[in-house]
Amino acid sequence: MTSDHSSYTVEMSSDELKTVDFQSQKEKDEPGGSNSSSSHRSISSNTWRANSIKEVGVIELGSKGARYGSRKGGSSSMSMSRREISDEDSRKVYINDPVKSNESFDFSGNSVRTSKYSVLTFLPRNLFEQFHRVAYVYFLIIAILNQLPQLAVFGRFASILPLSMVLLVTAIKDGYEDWRRHRSDRIENNRLASVLVNGTFEHKKWKDIQVGEIIKFSANETIPCDIVLLSTSDPTGVAYIQTINLDGESNLKTRYAKQETLRSNEVERISGVIKCEKPNRNIYGFLGTMEIDQKQVSLGPSNIVLRGCVLKNTSWAVGVVVYTGMETKVMLNNSGAQSKRSHLEDRMNREIIYLSFFLVALCSIVSILAGIWLRRHRDELDIMPFYRRKDYSGEDVDNYKYYGWGLEIFFTFLMSVIVFQIMIPIALYISMELVRLGQAYFMIRDDNMYEESTDSRFQCRALNVNEDLGQVKYVFSDKTGTLTENKMEFQYASIFGVDYNGEKTDFYGEQGGYYAKVDGLILRPKMAVQVDKELVRLLRTGDDVKIGKPIYDFFLALASCNTIVPILVDTANPAEKLIDYQGESPDEQALVYAAAAYGFMLIERTSGHIVIDILGDRQRFNVLGMHEFDSERKRMSVILGCPDSTVKVFVKGADTTMFTVIDKSKNTDVVTATESHLHAYSSVGLRTLVMGMKGLSPHEFEQWRTSYEAATNALMGRARILKKVAMNLETNLSILGASGIEDKLQQGVPEAIESLRMANIKVWVLTGDKQETAISIGYSSRLLTSKMTQIIINNNSTESCRRSLEEALIISRKATTSGENAKPLALIIDGTSLVYILDSELEKQLFELASKCAVVLCCRVAPLQKAGIVMLIKKRTNDLTLAIGDGANDVSMIQKADVGIGISGQEGRQAVMASDFAMAQFRFLVPLLLVHGHWNYQRMGYMILYNFYRNAVFVLVLFWYALYTAFTLSTAINEWNSVLYSVIYTSVPTIVVGILDKDLSRTSLLKYPQLYGSGQKQESYNGKLFWLTIADTVWQSVVVFFVPLLAYRKTDVDGSSIGDLWTLAVVFLVNLHLAMDVNTWNWIIHASIWGSCVATIICVIIIDVIPILPGYWAIFHLAGDGKFWVCLIAIIVASLVPRFVVKTLVQHYGPSDIQIAGEAEKLEDQIELRNAEIEMNQPQR
Amino acid sequence: MDASTRTKSRSKKPQYSRFTQQELPAWKPILTPKWIITSFVIIAILFTPTGLLCLWASERVVEIIDRYDDDCLPDSYSTDPDSFIQSNNTNKTCVRTLKVPRKMSAPIFIYYQLDNFYQNHRRYVKSRSDKQLRDPDEADETEDCKPINGNDDGPIVPCGLVAWSLFNDTYKFFKGNKAIDIDKKDIAWESDKKYKFGSNVYPKNFQKWELIGGGALDESKPLSEQEDLIVWMKTAALPTFRKLYGKINTDLEANETITVVIQNNYNTYVFGGEKKVALSTANWIGGKNDFFGISFLTIGGVCFFVAINFILLYVLKPRPLGDPSYLSWNRNQGAQ
Repeated sequence: MTSDHSSYTVEMSSDELKTVDFQSQKEKDEPGGSNSSSSHRSISSNTWRANSIKEVGVIELGSKGARYGSRKGGSSSMSMSRREISDEDSRKVYINDPVKSNESFDFSGNSVRTSKYSVLTFLPRNLFEQFHRVAYVYFLIIAILNQLPQLAVFGRFASILPLSMVLLVTAIKDGYEDWRRHRSDRIENNRLASVLVNGTFEHKKWKDIQVGEIIKFSANETIPCDIVLLSTSDPTGVAYIQTINLDGESNLKTRYAKQETLRSNEVERISGVIKCEKPNRNIYGFLGTMEIDQKQVSLGPSNIVLRGCVLKNTSWAVGVVVYTGMETKVMLNNSGAQSKRSHLEDRMNREIIYLSFFLVALCSIVSILAGIWLRRHRDELDIMPFYRRKDYSGEDVDNYKYYGWGLEIFFTFLMSVIVFQIMIPIALYISMELVRLGQAYFMIRDDNMYEESTDSRFQCRALNVNEDLGQVKYVFSDKTGTLTENKMEFQYASIFGVDYNGEKTDFYGEQGGYYAKVDGLILRPKMAVQVDKELVRLLRTGDDVKIGKPIYDFFLALASCNTIVPILVDTANPAEKLIDYQGESPDEQALVYAAAAYGFMLIERTSGHIVIDILGDRQRFNVLGMHEFDSERKRMSVILGCPDSTVKVFVKGADTTMFTVIDKSKNTDVVTATESHLHAYSSVGLRTLVMGMKGLSPHEFEQWRTSYEAATNALMGRARILKKVAMNLETNLSILGASGIEDKLQQGVPEAIESLRMANIKVWVLTGDKQETAISIGYSSRLLTSKMTQIIINNNSTESCRRSLEEALIISRKATTSGENAKPLALIIDGTSLVYILDSELEKQLFELASKCAVVLCCRVAPLQKAGIVMLIKKRTNDLTLAIGDGANDVSMIQKADVGIGISGQEGRQAVMASDFAMAQFRFLVPLLLVHGHWNYQRMGYMILYNFYRNAVFVLVLFWYALYTAFTLSTAINEWNSVLYSVIYTSVPTIVVGILDKDLSRTSLLKYPQLYGSGQKQESYNGKLFWLTIADTVWQSVVVFFVPLLAYRKTDVDGSSIGDLWTLAVVFLVNLHLAMDVNTWNWIIHASIWGSCVATIICVIIIDVIPILPGYWAIFHLAGDGKFWVCLIAIIVASLVPRFVVKTLVQHYGPSDIQIAGEAEKLEDQIELRNAEIEMNQPQR
Repeated sequence: MDASTRTKSRSKKPQYSRFTQQELPAWKPILTPKWIITSFVIIAILFTPTGLLCLWASERVVEIIDRYDDDCLPDSYSTDPDSFIQSNNTNKTCVRTLKVPRKMSAPIFIYYQLDNFYQNHRRYVKSRSDKQLRDPDEADETEDCKPINGNDDGPIVPCGLVAWSLFNDTYKFFKGNKAIDIDKKDIAWESDKKYKFGSNVYPKNFQKWELIGGGALDESKPLSEQEDLIVWMKTAALPTFRKLYGKINTDLEANETITVVIQNNYNTYVFGGEKKVALSTANWIGGKNDFFGISFLTIGGVCFFVAINFILLYVLKPRPLGDPSYLSWNRNQGAQ
């Protein structure tokens, strides 16, 4: 049984190593030279890679190709394996000898700590982390400045209060979260694992596991640390694991133990040394060697099982611990999502710079005037009753608290910074975070973005780009799994030049589809596939050998050439079991299910053989080797030792790369027929794959085997050598046929695209599929319409690209100038052309062309090209981009776009992990952008402007008063009132309005998608609005300050009383200003606005009943006077009248769409209400 | 029951509520022309009469103001006012005559008014000790009062610049030869007398050691009864301010002549300040102040003007509310 496997282990001398390395070096020098037929493709892909070196390493390449095969051969592992691990970069693990393993290295134990703090470190570390925010540092610097005796503007306590309150609240929140993490850590660390101690397996706590120990675990157990597999219950050393905790993928993956260690009964006697990389965060890469019985064995990613994985379908497995605790790959990967900054915030920061200039200007004015004042009165200062520079009390007559003219000016400047500090709305950053939190709460809980079938809610993974959702101009969408369901269904087959797409039947003669009988058990595939009658008949009778043989081989290829693992699932009937085909690629699953439906049922797979039930006859094939899928070859092959002891190679892959390796001289008519079938399939939107095969003579097989073994044991450049071996093998194939797989459109996609188009959002589809497939999906999703002029760019040289771009530009100009009957344009471009266009001078033309087109379809694009296209737009416009995708190949695009959305679908969770938002269906994009995005943007834009206004108006009131205090910055407004102003008096309403106010209802926003334009046109926040707000602020501050000043001029009013008047006036004004702009008054907004006013009154009263403060009882004296009330009313009315007039004029002369839609909404509501009333009244009559 | 709640909590389906779906019942105000015009008209209607009322009230207040700092300076000292005011030997009595323009009915408030005196200066405002004023045990709390805080012989009570610079001009009023009684009781806030200035705190070492800044205090009277000091220590908001000196509880008839005998003690010459004495009646609007009347009339007038314009606007160029044909994309279509 294990006979084929012993051959895998060939000892390698170091000489051989060198030659191999040399060869790979040579290949690098002349790219593609070894394979002339595919030279063009590899050149082009190399060019692409060279051009975008900066991108490499961001993500793993080509894993969407996983659909065609496994991901393990991806280029990241290739680049990893190319280098030898040197001693200083490696760790040595002595198997079953933890003492020796740990003596020279300082390996961490296996206890994990996700918590950040301990009791002792909490305070310093938490403070340190909190002060990473610029806002807090600003607060702190101001507070420290205030502690200097020369600059003490506020009392010590009052100056620290706001900062300490924010710090305290955050610290409590962090502390609580950390306490929960501590608790879960404790549970995790105290779980038990079975560890080999002195020859027997004993239970040990997870935290006590050490590097070098051997542990054993059984099915459904979670692995406590990163281990190298030594042995499993499977005689060939296979173990199936589920990595759902690691990357969220629920399908099974296979891991192998090395042949050398496969000694199931005497695990305790294994001894050897493993030399492997230092801990790193690459989940998909591992590189090491194992020295065992004086033999050197190489270890790769398929030999390691990571912490957090679960063992499945394998009764037990044994492994040696290589990484523990915090050094395990899953813990190293435990970092949060990357952070993006929203466009609105970027713009806001620019305005904040204006505000800081404004602040500096105010401070300069005050300090210069103070300097002039001191100069003018320099002779009087000594004696002046309110200055008294000289201190006559001592023997010597000294200056008292006077530091000279220059320093006094300087101190005045610093003091004015302290007094006017809230000009920079630091609290705004904190309010924004709270508002985004609230917005996220509503997005997550939106019924309309909940998917019943997968029970998944909308997820907010990043909190800083909420408002960008309201300004998106470009949507870049992946096709498979994003527009479509990614539930593949085998539809058509073209076998040996004959197209079988005739009448379909549900069953195979018998009820419930094909089944196989094994040991008295009935095995049935989990998913039934409709089959073609004619094909079934041909297979059944098998009379015509000429037709029957290729059909037989075709289905054999479908059933064998894959990485699918069949798993038996119990059913209610004990005599019947379902076969669930587990694999990483939905296409492969579809193909295997199809093969099963036609009677080629894959029943068993181990690393060495597969068992296929062929029309009731169980046959066993030895898997002699497998060349897995990679994104460059775009095909995979399997070498089978058939029961009749012939050796056959089956190859499956994308048509472009398959036709280059198919021998076209044989069966020319079949090849041409297949090509035309492929064209037909893809034009109805099917995904196509081509199968080929060839037989190997014993000599060829021997030749292949030697090079294959050398390659699999190579320590360096393994993937590259393997690929070369594969390329040499996959030649002169004879064609078997092609398959067409349907991927259904998701529900609601055409309507969603229609809405997005009406909202003036450009939808670009970027897909790895063929052009015909892409176009047909384009039609079915209503992205393309028959009214459109299609421009197709499909070239393979820079020169021809330039030509077609120029031609296309002429067409597009014509189309745009032809006026009314202009047809919208659709651009269809393929990946090869993009290779020549992106990152070259042609980019500009492409951009110009693309921006004129209503629709852009990019087909056959590589993952990094997707990111390149996003960058094309981002570099040239300020428009916001959104990328949406579901697969690992969309990760780069999701990260590059301003907003990245992951679809949590069939294809793993890498896209979701990289995304800012995740949702279940493409159509949720409509409520997300049109409703939540619009609201978020409008709310945030208003909130920022309002916060600028709110703080500036208060600062200006202080500034005007400074002009009446001989520029000494004493404030009439009590220091407590100024501190509480932004903390209590005015903070809550703006946050509540920022979370809850709605300018329009959901129905209106969905009814008129065009309303989304307000965000794209930056209607809620722009430079004009900013300066208007500032002008309004200046006016309002003038009114607030000068009305009381003129009213109380030449009276016996004291500072505290007029200060209280200013405080109350500002707070009422600012809250009423907000009230004037609120669109939707629900009870929470009412409560927050009026509550804040009441809270202010209460606070002012409390402050004025403390006898030690100067303003004792001031408010009562003040309010007892009619003048106070008259002042308040005059201030509020006079402040708000200009704003009100401007607002009404704008609404009359240039009503915004939102305004009109709001009015329409109101009118409709009223009509509805009236109708409802009539209905209510009618029965009574 | 238990099982059903468990399955419920396991499903991630958001539980429907009007709050989470952002559909709370709400009032959505829309600025309709009716609304806008009504609100402007209402403001105009309310503000114009109020403005007139304020003007009338202000008009009814009778006020007599007399600046005396320059006139009370003998000509011989006009170049050197400091030596006049600082000398103990100069005669500082000064007689002024005032004419009552209209009938002033009691109570008539007597104020002194200082110009250019920054009682709100940072150095000045802080130079006091509220603790010391309340509690005899805290007499040593003089940190803020430096340099006027006392020395080894004991602290100054009340300490600090504010108390030190106590205003000390005195006024006596005569109608013909008959003195008019000045009521100096209850010129300070009741709250201050009760809680801020202790009834068992007595002045100590006040104006004793160094430069004399202003008035002296009777050491036998507790601070709570030193109403002039309490008034003075309620620091004014603005550099031009009045403080209550006393009240006259008899009416003054129109065209009566009143003689004021002033002791011109207080030094405003050093910083170019002005001193005035003011007699004023009061009503609900306080003292004489036309500002309110004018500003209310202005606001009312502006709102009236705006309202008229809006009415014209809606008549001449009406816009139907909520008409979808006004939406930008519909308008563009129409233009084409």
